[in-house]
Amino acid sequence: MSKITSSSTAEYFAKNLQQVGFSSPTKAVLTTLKEAVDNSLDACEENQIAPEITVIIEKIGKGGGRNTDLIRIYVEDNGPGLKPEIVPKVFGEYLASSKFGRGQCSRGQQGIGISAATTWAQLTNAAGVTVKSKTSAMRKAVEMKIDVDIKGNKGLVKAKDTIDWKDKKHGTATEFKIDGRLQLNGDGGLLTYLEGTALVNPHLTLNYKVHENDWVNIERVSDKIPSVPPPTLPHPHTMKLGEFMTHALLYGNLTLKKFLRTAFSRVSDASIQGFTKSGLKKSLLPLTMNKIKQQDFKAIFHAIQETDLMNPSTASVLTVGEEGLANSINRLGEVDFFSVVTRKPKICDFKPVVVEVAIARFLNRGREDDSIQLLRFANRVPLQFDKSSCAITRAVESVNWKSYGLSQSKNSLPQGSFVFAISVTSPFIKFKNASKETIDSSDELIEEIRRALMQAGQKLSRHIKREARAADLERKKAYIEKFGPILVEGLVGIIGASDARKKKAIKGLDVILGKDADSAEAALNKAQERLDKLKAKEGTATGSNENKSEADGEDTKVVEVKKASAKKTAKKKSKKKTSKKKK
Amino acid sequence: MAIQKRKAKTGVEITKKAKELCNKMLKDLEASQRPVLEAVRCSLDNANYDSKLGYLTPGEKLVRSELNVSSVQKLARTVFLLEILLRNVESGAVNTKRELYYIAKGLVKGSGESLKPIDFEEQTESDSIIDFITDMLRAYREEMNCFANDRGGQTYSKQLEVTETLPDGSKAVIDLGQLGTTPFQPKNKPQSLSLRAKKRIDFCLVVESEGTANTLVSNGFTQRNNCILMGAQGVPSNGVRGWCKLIQDQLKIPIYFFGDLDAYTMQNIFRTLKAGSAASLVRNSDFSAPEVRFLGVLPEDIKKYDLYYYEVKDKDASELRALKKAKDVLNNDPFFKDKKNKKLSQILHFLIKNKIRCEQQALFSVDPKDPIMPEKIILQKIKEGSYI
Repeated sequence: MSKITSSSTAEYFAKNLQQVGFSSPTKAVLTTLKEAVDNSLDACEENQIAPEITVIIEKIGKGGGRNTDLIRIYVEDNGPGLKPEIVPKVFGEYLASSKFGRGQCSRGQQGIGISAATTWAQLTNAAGVTVKSKTSAMRKAVEMKIDVDIKGNKGLVKAKDTIDWKDKKHGTATEFKIDGRLQLNGDGGLLTYLEGTALVNPHLTLNYKVHENDWVNIERVSDKIPSVPPPTLPHPHTMKLGEFMTHALLYGNLTLKKFLRTAFSRVSDASIQGFTKSGLKKSLLPLTMNKIKQQDFKAIFHAIQETDLMNPSTASVLTVGEEGLANSINRLGEVDFFSVVTRKPKICDFKPVVVEVAIARFLNRGREDDSIQLLRFANRVPLQFDKSSCAITRAVESVNWKSYGLSQSKNSLPQGSFVFAISVTSPFIKFKNASKETIDSSDELIEEIRRALMQAGQKLSRHIKREARAADLERKKAYIEKFGPILVEGLVGIIGASDARKKKAIKGLDVILGKDADSAEAALNKAQERLDKLKAKEGTATGSNENKSEADGEDTKVVEVKKASAKKTAKKKSKKKTSKKKK
Repeated sequence: MAIQKRKAKTGVEITKKAKELCNKMLKDLEASQRPVLEAVRCSLDNANYDSKLGYLTPGEKLVRSELNVSSVQKLARTVFLLEILLRNVESGAVNTKRELYYIAKGLVKGSGESLKPIDFEEQTESDSIIDFITDMLRAYREEMNCFANDRGGQTYSKQLEVTETLPDGSKAVIDLGQLGTTPFQPKNKPQSLSLRAKKRIDFCLVVESEGTANTLVSNGFTQRNNCILMGAQGVPSNGVRGWCKLIQDQLKIPIYFFGDLDAYTMQNIFRTLKAGSAASLVRNSDFSAPEVRFLGVLPEDIKKYDLYYYEVKDKDASELRALKKAKDVLNNDPFFKDKKNKKLSQILHFLIKNKIRCEQQALFSVDPKDPIMPEKIILQKIKEGSYI
C-alpha cells in the first residue's frame, strides 16, 4: 500500500496555481494586479479612506520561462498601512484572511489571492514580493521582502529595512517581479481591468502607467466612501437544513421562540404565528434548543420555509449606486447617452443579491458592427475570463435586444458601440472557480439580471427611437430632393408633355412630399417629447428618484443622464486626462 | 365573376396603356394629388383556380403604390425603367433582365449626377421593378421584349415540324425529324411558333430529368413511337410551359408528365406545368398546359413494379422542407384544394404520411439488363390508363 502523506495548503496551491488565476503568463500579470488592487481598495474602505492608487506595469527584462518577459507590477495605495508583524502573514500565508466567510460584500474573501501572487513570483523569478508599509503610528516606513514557506504555509521575511517614505502618512506599496506577458486590451486586458475598476469605484483616484503608454490619471467623482456593511443576522430562507441545525446549537439555552426572534433577521412575532399556521407545533416554542429532537428540527425548518417572510435585509448588500455609476461612466470616454438601473435586493439561490446595470454609448469607442463591450463585475471586481459561461453573459444573450433597437443574432451578445456594465453584488457570490472569473449561472440569478437589463433596454430604446426618427426625417428630406425631379422628368419624357406641365407637376410634387416631411418632423418632435418627459420623470444625475419600473412593475431606482448634464458633471468632477507625470 | 381568357397584348396596346398611366400620374401631380400605381398581387393568397379553365388566375387583390416619401424612389425607378422598356417595344429590340440592369446602369452613368439617386446596386432591385411594371400593365415580360434565358424544353420527335415567324416577318421551318439525336429547344415566345404533325403523333411525354429524356431517345424511344419527347429540366421555365401549351392547343394530343414521386415534383414542377405559378398569375393562361397528365411515378407503381425507393431522413433538409410545404399547400393552394385534383392531393397526403421518395430513374432498377425496360413501363402505363 502506498504511503499517505499530508500537504500544507501552500503546497497545494503552489502546485495548482492555475486554479487561482495563474494559468498562463498573461493571466498571471492580470491576477497579480487584481489581487493587489483589491486588497488596497478593501483596506481603504474598511478604514474610510478615499482611495488613491498608483499602478505601474512595465517590462524589465526577459522572463525565465519560454516566451515570457520579466514584468514589474507596482501598486501603491494611501490605505492604513500594515503593521510590520502582519505583513508576512498577509503576503506569505494562504487562507490568512480577516474576511473569510463573514458574509460581507468585500472584494477579497478567502485570503488566497495575494499569497498566490507571491508564490508565482517566487516560482518564476526566485523572489517573492517587496512590500513597503507605513501606518499612521509609524514614524518611518518599513520595506520587507517576503517569500512563501511552501512546506509550512507561512510567510518568510527575507529582508527588512526601515526607510523614509517621502511625505507618505500611511499606505502600502507592493512590488512583484514575475514571469508574464502583457495584454493591454480586450476582455482579459490590463487596461480593461483598470477602466472597469474605475467605473465601479467612483470614489477611487487611479493613476496608472502601463507598458509604454503615457500616465493616465482618473480623478474620483465621488467623495462618498462606501462603507462595507457589517454582516446581518442570517435570513432563515437563505439556509439549508444542516446550516439551520448548526446555527441552532449555538443558542442551546434559548427557547425556540426566542431563538427564532433573536438569531435571525426578518423574523417577528407575526412571522412565528405564520410558522405555526404552516405546521410548527406550538408546544415546541417554549422548549430550549438543546431539548428539541432532531426530527422536530426538520418540521420546524419546513414550516419556516413554507411561510412568506420579508426579503433579507439589504443592509448587508453594498451597491455602487446610480449616482456614482452615472458620474463614473463619464470617466471612460465621451458618452453619447446612457442609462443606469439599480434593482432592489432579491433573494437568488438563498442569498441576497443586488444587480446594477449601466448601458452607455460612447462617441469614440466600439464599432457599430462589433459586439457590445460587456463589463462584468462581482462585488465591484471586474470579471475578465470565461465570459461565455458566466450568468451575466447568459442573461445579456437571453434578452431580445432587437426590440430595443439593437441588432443581435439569436442567443448572442447584441451589436453596437455600447458598453454594458453589469454588476452583481452579494455577500455570498457563487463563483464557478477559486479564481473568481465567472459567476455560476442559476435560473433565478439570470432572471434577476435579465429584468435589470430589460429595464435599461427600455430607456435605451427611447433614445434609439428618437435617433431613428431623426434619421427618417433626414432621409425623407433627401428623398424629395433626389427622386422628385427624376420622377417628373420620366413622366414628361414618356408622354412628351410640355414644359408648363412639368413645372406645375414639380410644384405639386413639392406640396405632396413636403407634407410627408412635415409629418416625419412631427413624429420626431413627439419622440423627443417622450424622451424629455421620461428624463424629467426619472430625475437627473445628481438627483435620483424612485420610480415604478416599466419592465415588471417593481420598485426600481432608475437614473438617466442627459448628454449635456452628463458632460457638465463629468467636466466638473472628473478629468480623464493623459499627462506625462514623473514619479 | 366570369373569367375571360386573356388575349395577347400587342406592342401598340402596351404603349398606349403605359402612356395613359403616365399621363394620369402627371395630372395627379399637377393637381397636388398623390398618384397611385396599382399592380396585380401575384401571390398564392390572391390566386384562384377554376377547373374549367385549368390554371391559376389572379384574384381582386392589388399592390398599391401611392406616392409618398417612402415610395418616391420606387415610382421614379418604375418610370425610368418603363421608358427603357417602351423604347424596346417600339424599336423591337429585346433584352434579358440582366441586360436591362446594365442598360439602366449605363444610362445612370451617362446622365452625370442627375440619375445617380436611382442607380441599382443589385440586379434584384431592377428585376423587382420590371416585375412590378409587367404586373401593373398586366403584360407578359416577353410582350415587353424582355426575355429570360431559355432553359429546359429539349424536344425530340420524328414527326414534328415547327414554323417560326421571325421579327422581320420571314419564316423558318424546323423539321425535328431531321435533327437526329440533337434536340430542338423552343424560344420563350410561343406566339411566334406554329406546329404541324407530318405524320400522326400519338402523345407527348414530358420527362422531369433532361438526362433521362436524352437516355430514352438514345435508346430509340422516338424511333419506335410516334411521339414528342421533352425534358423539363426541373421547375419548368416559361419557355417549357408555353411550349407545352402550344403542343396541347395546336396538336391536340395527350401530354404525359413523368417525374419523381416526391412533394417537390408534385407541388413545384407538375403544378407549375399544369396550372402555372402564383408568381406569374397574369401569364398562366399562356404559360400552362392544363391537359397534361401525371403519368408517374405513382404511389401504386412502387408496389406494382417493385421500385426502389427511400425514406426521407431528418438530415434531408430540402426534402423535409418540401414535405412541410406540402401540408401548407394542401390547405392553401386552390389547385390542390379543387375537387378535380383530388387524386393529385392524395399523392401529397401519401407522401406526407409515408415520408418516402421514389425517383423517376428507379425504373432502371426493374430489369437492369434491359435498357428499354423504362420505355416498356411508360408505354404500359399509357396503355392501361395508369395516370392522373
